[in-house]
Amino acid sequence: MATLSLKDVRKSYGSVQVLHGIDIELEDGGFLVLLGPSGCGKSTLLNIIAGLDETSSGDIVIGGRSVSNLPPKDRNIAMVFQSYALYPTMSVERNIGFGLEMRGTSVDRRREAVARAADMLQVTHLLDRKPANLSGGQRQRVAMGRAIVRDPDLFLFDEPLSNLDAKLRVEMRTEIKRLHERLGTSIVYVTHDQIEAMTLATKVAVMKGGYIQQLADPRTIYERPANMFVAGFIGSPAMNFLRGRLGRGKSGWQFMAKDICLNLGRSKEKLEEQEVILGVRPEEFKVVHHDIAAAFHGKIDVVEPTGPDTMLTSLIGGQSVIARVGPRFAGRYGDDVSFTVDPTSVNLFDPQTKLRITW
Amino acid sequence: MFKSNRSRRLAADILTYVVLCTLAAFCLGPMVWMFLTSLKPEADIVTSQMQYIPTHITFENYVAIWTQSNFPVLITNSLIVTTVTVAICVVTGTLAAYAFSRLVFRGRNNIMLGYLLIRMFPAVMMIIPLYVMMRTVGLVDSRFGLALAYTSFLLPLFVWMLKGFFDAAPKELESAARIDGSTRLGAMVRIVLPLARNGLVASSVFIAIAAWNEFIFALMLTTGQGSRTWPVGLQLMVGEFQLPWGVLAAGGILSILPVMLLFAVVQRAMVQGLTAGAIKG
Repeated sequence: MATLSLKDVRKSYGSVQVLHGIDIELEDGGFLVLLGPSGCGKSTLLNIIAGLDETSSGDIVIGGRSVSNLPPKDRNIAMVFQSYALYPTMSVERNIGFGLEMRGTSVDRRREAVARAADMLQVTHLLDRKPANLSGGQRQRVAMGRAIVRDPDLFLFDEPLSNLDAKLRVEMRTEIKRLHERLGTSIVYVTHDQIEAMTLATKVAVMKGGYIQQLADPRTIYERPANMFVAGFIGSPAMNFLRGRLGRGKSGWQFMAKDICLNLGRSKEKLEEQEVILGVRPEEFKVVHHDIAAAFHGKIDVVEPTGPDTMLTSLIGGQSVIARVGPRFAGRYGDDVSFTVDPTSVNLFDPQTKLRITW
Repeated sequence: MFKSNRSRRLAADILTYVVLCTLAAFCLGPMVWMFLTSLKPEADIVTSQMQYIPTHITFENYVAIWTQSNFPVLITNSLIVTTVTVAICVVTGTLAAYAFSRLVFRGRNNIMLGYLLIRMFPAVMMIIPLYVMMRTVGLVDSRFGLALAYTSFLLPLFVWMLKGFFDAAPKELESAARIDGSTRLGAMVRIVLPLARNGLVASSVFIAIAAWNEFIFALMLTTGQGSRTWPVGLQLMVGEFQLPWGVLAAGGILSILPVMLLFAVVQRAMVQGLTAGAIKG
């Protein structure tokens, strides 16, 4: 168990800079998810933490010890790879125990540690097999066994679930969370899957183009995204962005656009009259029946029942809006529809800078 | 319609087999002939009437070449030269191929290209400068010198072949091993080499056969008994006025025996090595 801090970590390949001054602090026992689209630098950053790649500048501190100049083997970390990277020529037992073998642990203690790890991951019956004779889920468990057996300071996961089918992925996600709760070891986890980020992380770093867009707990990332990229990247269906104008009304500030007039509540002194983009999560829309007090008035475009909810696409003043409504919603194409929204749940973005306007 | 389709396919089959059998005859014919000749007494070899199958089988040619010539020395020299060549290639070539496959350094592609370029020059062109160099350092007419000469043109080939096998081994495995506590070299030896084992065997056998059968370099760089290899030795048995066919044939058969043995032993690994990547996605 240890803290992790990255201090102004930069990385360039030739003249191409792929990481621009990354600063991250992870508390002891924390679960940091590096989230972003492919090519955002998240895997490079993970490799740099592992020591498989070198920094161009900056410092990496694990448990109070600067490891920037140490080879991977001396950083006391363990890593689970996307392809699992099990040694194909070795049995499962030797795969799990390889790290201990390399560190010269005695055979007895090694066997004991491997047995304990295998038991925790329910792979005891597979110990004699070769990796080629395992299913995807079993390989994943063995790869995790190899990581936990050494009791490292820090776990690194590189998109560990992306090669599994959907059902198994959910299972293994739960397994990873359980493992983290039981072992309490700090984890850095790379993924492009926002659900994994939301469910697992204590801290999420959303990355794009080698910059951290936002570093915060999952709740904050979801509810108060720092900019439009983060807002659009997290959540499915994505946050609705509506163009309009901020103006002062009778009862305080209002967001106004064609067929939209949303009271933002008490007077917010920090705001000024300007063009803005309103960000509303699909689940924040409430359908109301021809209420004059409704803020949004539009026509139904598409109704998509998914089972637990219905996704309702409407056209409001020429802007397309997706709302997540109850499963028993009974509207049809072309019907009129009206919504209200809790004004505290919405976000305002500056159309120029794309940044969230705090208020 | 159906019938003509069938007969056309039959004709195609026949044609295929005719072509294949002809090729096989060209490949195997000389071997078979050499083998038959080696079993004939000298008087039955040069006859007015062609005699394909030996009328009485004798092993006197084998006895003759083994006891009355320096053939055992030639074979020993060949074995030593081949072994040294393979040893040098395996040790330096493996390290080089690994570096070319995994490390990024300036001039990597150019050096690899250079290796390929060396192969394009005819060996004859390199012999004279090589001879001068060898003479300067006193390695002419030594088995080690000959092995070095072989290495000079076999090593690039070895590196090229092995690099392909290394490229096919996933990099993440070494990353995992390095995190698990290996050094870079340790990861190569423990993880990558076992994976590329078949490729290593295939490449080594390739080198071994080339070194074993090599003639021109051996002819130029060896002058005495001490380092002469079997292809040169056999050639020198051809005199101006006599041509001991039977003995030469027996020598030929004896010389390909080690190669055949080697093949028998490593055959499986080699076939797997040569087809690696073809079936695994």
